[in-house]
Amino acid sequence: MTRRVLQLSVNGRAHELMVEPRRTLADVLREDLELTGTHLGCEHGVCGACTVLLDGLAVRSCLMLAVQAAGTEVMTIEGLERDGEMHPLQEAFRDSHSFQCGFCTPGFVMTVLALLDEGRDLSEVELREELSGNLCRCTGYQSIVEGVQLAAERMAAGR
Amino acid sequence: MRLIGAKVPRVEDRRILTGRGRYVDDLHLPHMLHATFLRSPVAHARVAALDASAAKRAPGVVAVFTGEEMKALSKPIAVPMAEAMGARIPEFYPLVTDKVRFVGDLVAMVIAETRYEAEDAAELIDVIYDPLQAVSSYEAALDPASPALFDELGDNIVYTSSSSAGDVDAAFAAADRVVAMTLRQHRVANAPMETRGAVADYDPASGELVYHAATQGPQGLRLALANTLGLPMERLRVLAGDVGGAFGLKGYVGREDLCLAAAARQLGRAVKWTEDRNEHLLASGHAREEKIDIEVAVTNDGSLLGMRAHMTMDHGAYPGVPFPAAMFSGLVQMLLPGPYRMQGYAFDVTAVSTNKCVYVAYRGPWEMETWVRERVLDEVARELGMDPADLRRRNMMAGDADERLITGLSVAGISSRQSLERALELIGYDAFRRDQAAARAQGRHLGIGFATFIEAAPGPPEMRMGGGMFGGEQAKVKLESDGHLTVVTAQAPHGQSHETTLAQIAAEEMGVPFEHVKVVHGDTSVTPFSLIGTGGSRAATWASGAVLLSTRKVKEKVLAIAAEQLEISPEDLEINDGVITPLGAPHKSLPLAQIAMQATMAPNSLPPGTDPLLEAHETFKGEGITGSGWSGGTHACIVEVDLETGHTQILRYVVVEDCGRVINPAVVEGQIRGGVAQGVGEVLYERAAYDEDGNFLAGTFMDYLLPTAAEIPTIEIEHLETDPDDELGFRGVGEGGAVVAPATLTNAIADALAPLGARVYDQYLPPSKVLELAGVLPTT
Repeated sequence: MTRRVLQLSVNGRAHELMVEPRRTLADVLREDLELTGTHLGCEHGVCGACTVLLDGLAVRSCLMLAVQAAGTEVMTIEGLERDGEMHPLQEAFRDSHSFQCGFCTPGFVMTVLALLDEGRDLSEVELREELSGNLCRCTGYQSIVEGVQLAAERMAAGR
Repeated sequence: MRLIGAKVPRVEDRRILTGRGRYVDDLHLPHMLHATFLRSPVAHARVAALDASAAKRAPGVVAVFTGEEMKALSKPIAVPMAEAMGARIPEFYPLVTDKVRFVGDLVAMVIAETRYEAEDAAELIDVIYDPLQAVSSYEAALDPASPALFDELGDNIVYTSSSSAGDVDAAFAAADRVVAMTLRQHRVANAPMETRGAVADYDPASGELVYHAATQGPQGLRLALANTLGLPMERLRVLAGDVGGAFGLKGYVGREDLCLAAAARQLGRAVKWTEDRNEHLLASGHAREEKIDIEVAVTNDGSLLGMRAHMTMDHGAYPGVPFPAAMFSGLVQMLLPGPYRMQGYAFDVTAVSTNKCVYVAYRGPWEMETWVRERVLDEVARELGMDPADLRRRNMMAGDADERLITGLSVAGISSRQSLERALELIGYDAFRRDQAAARAQGRHLGIGFATFIEAAPGPPEMRMGGGMFGGEQAKVKLESDGHLTVVTAQAPHGQSHETTLAQIAAEEMGVPFEHVKVVHGDTSVTPFSLIGTGGSRAATWASGAVLLSTRKVKEKVLAIAAEQLEISPEDLEINDGVITPLGAPHKSLPLAQIAMQATMAPNSLPPGTDPLLEAHETFKGEGITGSGWSGGTHACIVEVDLETGHTQILRYVVVEDCGRVINPAVVEGQIRGGVAQGVGEVLYERAAYDEDGNFLAGTFMDYLLPTAAEIPTIEIEHLETDPDDELGFRGVGEGGAVVAPATLTNAIADALAPLGARVYDQYLPPSKVLELAGVLPTT
């Protein structure tokens, strides 16, 4: 199948590669760029494990063709640390024992990163609604909700 | 240094939160090929013809394996546990050789340079199926007129067994009344967020196969690969990195695993297979499809006299390897009477084959016992006009020294009564009944439900002594030359935080900083044998004991050396924060690392009679446990059912849990909440549905509904830490939430619907079913 040139930036680094038009963004990230932190849980847009930020917006990399991401800035879970320090959201999730097997984790982190960036004050009910596009099978979600609340508190205090 | 009992942050979290986890699909080996499977689109058919010639010529394709080709590389798949219990086992192979037996059955395997090419090529395989009648229900499976799935077995009944305890006939003869019903549990899927997958890497020069797998039982998988493919054990290594959830499923050996390993050996190259979600829901494994016809003999004043139960299990098309469905009926039989006194009990079971996906263990595969018992007790109370709490109080065992389950095991020390009373107190049972009456007067349908379970993890003395049915659990501990500890466990964690909890135990026992302990797992070339790996709550109970024993042994060796050098009795030495200190003489302290380095580099310089090998490999067989050995608890919840929409809202959910000595409260509570969420999903949302022709109806996450953060309520937890002096009193907590939540929630819904005359006999209660029960919709 014919390949096309794809230029995009991932976690601040520019890439140029040849891809089939049918290749998903998730496969380009995971296989071509070896950024395996982005996970594939369903490949039909329900579970949210593959969530990445595309120009700051949370998108499902399993539902996007890589060529659709041409010219954009993509951020994946690998892009959060600064100088070996975890992002406050990652720290809050750790401190809240938010996750277990860790497979859904990158998707939750990226979804919540975009959510916190909006800076809205959310009730727990609203927060749970916002999180309902990401599936976790291990935790029952309470620890994830607590982790987001802790991160929001800390980030608000740090502003 | 108190680490046991502390909310220690998880070792696992740094890598998991930064995208550095290493799940099997993250592996890219040089020259690696990719496999995909052609799966049956029909439930039951003979394969009349198969033409793979176009697929073989497709771009990138390296090989296509058909059933006959794969059969030549494999022995029939053995299921020793099924044989041992007298279950009937058909002859079957990694790919189908004559018939397909469920939608998703394995017809052919395509291997190509890329996954995309493999999937393109699989579409080019032409198969002609001669359809057969699908056997899609218990009734069809039991009907002698139905076709047998396996011609050589003649019919579809794969296992029967019966047993009784006490005098069941006398119990029923003495009864004032007998309450009888059939309770049905539906088919569900474990559905971990990571699907199954593996990379088989064969080196033709050495004849070694390295099998990277998403597994919770690496040693069991290794054994099955060796047995089925005739691979020598010393050249077969199974590796498991991070595993993205399993809940019982990944303790099984897939026929896909056998295909992958056989193909890698044949081709001399690494081959990867990652299941997609549709394949996963269709073909990885399903659980729980069981029904029990139950009769309960009672007196008018609420004394339970006896139970008769007939269980039917739908085990799907093929036996589960290595754990066939039938083996879990033994646990259901043992636990169905629960912590209640009765005089007689009879149980029998029939397991049948159907044209559906294979039955696998799912988080507490005996869960049917708790659901049926606690559901039927509520119905008995209703028949008698009794409060369901009073009915339980009247019959529940106190945990006295001489008390036994009617099926035999001692329940001395169980805390069922305490958990029941505390859960009712926390949820405000008495006050709720008043609120409920007021709400009903306003047309609101509130209900309360509660249920109690016990779990033999590790079980009472007669069950655990000698290490139980698996002969205990091994662990290895080594003091490295810098005074740090390496702990090697037979467990295969997939979310349970063993890298943290086992390190807590070893660090506290040895007296070293938590950060100085590394837990190694998931490499069969170094990890000890365990058929199960992580499952059945073996980690908290058995693996913790094994790590404690092995660490203690290493510590004894170290202290023997230090005692000689310091000329002090070992009993007068302690190790704190990596420093060996004589009691009352801190100036004579000596770093642990000094002895560790000396033993490594200059073993001949150690005092005579001491052992320079500062490592231990001990087997924990249950010795030293002084507590009851029973986990257990009571859950209670309040729901509101909306009769406009059929929607059930959980208003409160309370857990009172006794898992003995808590190693890490955050880990324990995560296990409980996750289990409850699965139980809630099972009742309200999840169903691995088939139609009567055996077509699968739940092949995506838009059809198979997992609960989200918006559906799962806050879960309040209180721990009953009984037997506080039992040093080894770590008891299982992996299953309890999933085991008791369905009973708790269905009882609450039944309570809410009781004024409408509704009776809840099915565990699956989505809105449509609730509206049927309430008489809002006609019954389908």
